Amino acid sequence: MKRNPLLSLSRGLLIVILATFAGFPVYWMASTALNVNSQLFNTGQVPWPQLGNLPELLSELAQVPILRWLMNTGLIAAGTTVFSLTLGSVLGYALSRFRFQGRGAIGFLLFMTQVIPEALIVVPLYAIFITLGLLNNLWGLVLANVGFSLPVAAFILKGAMDAIPYEVEESAIIDNCPRLGILSFVIFPLIAPSLAAAAVISFFAGWNEFLFAATFLMDRELWPTSVGLASFIGQYETPLSAVMGAALVFSIPAVAFFLLVQRKIVAGLTSGAVKG
Amino acid sequence: MSTPTISRQRLTALVPYAFVAVPLAYLGVFMFWPLLRQMWMSLTDTRLMNPTKGDFIGLENYRHLLADPQFYTSLHVTVVYTLLTVIFGVGLGTISALAINRPFPGRTIVRAVLLFGWAVPNVAATLIWLWIYNGPSGVANELTEWLGLGRVQWLTSIDMALPSIMIVTVWQVAPFVMLVMLAALQSVPDEVREAARVDGADALNVFRNVTLPYILPTMQLVSLLVAVWSIRRFEIIYLLTGGGPIGSTSTLVVQIRLTAFEDYDLGLASAYGAVGLVLALLVALVHFIFERRRARVMSK
Repeated sequence: MKRNPLLSLSRGLLIVILATFAGFPVYWMASTALNVNSQLFNTGQVPWPQLGNLPELLSELAQVPILRWLMNTGLIAAGTTVFSLTLGSVLGYALSRFRFQGRGAIGFLLFMTQVIPEALIVVPLYAIFITLGLLNNLWGLVLANVGFSLPVAAFILKGAMDAIPYEVEESAIIDNCPRLGILSFVIFPLIAPSLAAAAVISFFAGWNEFLFAATFLMDRELWPTSVGLASFIGQYETPLSAVMGAALVFSIPAVAFFLLVQRKIVAGLTSGAVKG
Repeated sequence: MSTPTISRQRLTALVPYAFVAVPLAYLGVFMFWPLLRQMWMSLTDTRLMNPTKGDFIGLENYRHLLADPQFYTSLHVTVVYTLLTVIFGVGLGTISALAINRPFPGRTIVRAVLLFGWAVPNVAATLIWLWIYNGPSGVANELTEWLGLGRVQWLTSIDMALPSIMIVTVWQVAPFVMLVMLAALQSVPDEVREAARVDGADALNVFRNVTLPYILPTMQLVSLLVAVWSIRRFEIIYLLTGGGPIGSTSTLVVQIRLTAFEDYDLGLASAYGAVGLVLALLVALVHFIFERRRARVMSK
């Protein structure tokens, strides 16, 4: 089959334009991190990455509490993942394996959570957290995050379990193995890729989260990276290259893992909306 | 012998509820209870200084809302922002998917690069775009000057702030659309496409009459997802412009935050929130109607 050369040329051009739009901001983040402030604000930014400035960037980064922020971020993200997967797998299992009254209503409630803006419940949560003493507390933040990532995890895991024939569990049920045991030892190994995808989604939901963290955490010591980075906005004491370097360090894990499990993430996010 | 069997059956009937109890209780406490509380709060005069107490004042906040010009601005901004991000986000995402659907050298790398906007965390994305849009030193202005368009006040002029935010939004949303559409394009049978081509149909015709019918349902679905996300989106708008200049980019969701934490008026903030929720639910409802109709068509 011959293809029109003009058509493939214009397609090539289109791809170049699209890739430039998509990739440029990330490239520019790296390029900015490797400039020095006098270049950025006076002589003009050097567009290519000046790798020679790497040692200077590292010493600038050392003055930003990036390690502490990343540690807080990691804790929040890990807590969000553990809670979301535990509760989400139990819920997903029930929705996949049992037919019971109220099943449709639960599906609808889960779908609802995907429509509610975080900014909407941040105010009442703030009031509730004051009552429960969860304000200014990393655990409180984790609990708030899980509300949004648990339903997504449940959707993904339910979808994966739907694809497993019931016969697989049957012998275990006859042997009177408790259901939770079946879930952990029979089902989990079979849906490992989806578990990994749900874990990545929950982890980076917690990793990226900003609104709850900015509202519920007052102590600088507790700040995750998202809040720390946002505090640089409109503030000029920290060199811009260090800000961009920190943003880059913060982005790399998210980009790497999203690219790794992209297809599963898409399947999960869309199935929630379809099967509601 | 019969009694234990019956109780056993009853017990079995309860098993599903035992499973869903804990996750649902969790969502009840941290999602639906706050939601109800928010609804209630919109009927009170609660202030941020004392957020657990407030007196019932009926529909006073809603009356206040309807008299506030900012409310109409916010509603307008939310609708315009949502519609345009859906059109451009879904459009660009679909074009990207069509462009890279066929194999070509370097496809894996291009595909990865095209996903960057989706994968970069919001706050990091905001920081780099703030620098790109920077007035005196940003690269966006270098580009417009080079094009002979002169300098643009990307985030600080009323005309340009919302479009500038939309560019960032499309950058973030289009990759996700692309992934979904790539999956949908897999469902288009190659034979049908080839047959149409053999019959002399040109590329545009093949797209319109063969490809499009296959991917249209998915486009619909992803449009609704993008719409809901646009109504919900907070971070990048709040961090890029803070809702300004003079409220021109303050969507309902951003307005909740400003009213609650800058005006300390939790009651009014909750009223803004209630309107935002209704808007999001409307989109969800449209989605449900579409889905049900499709299910009916497919079962025929």
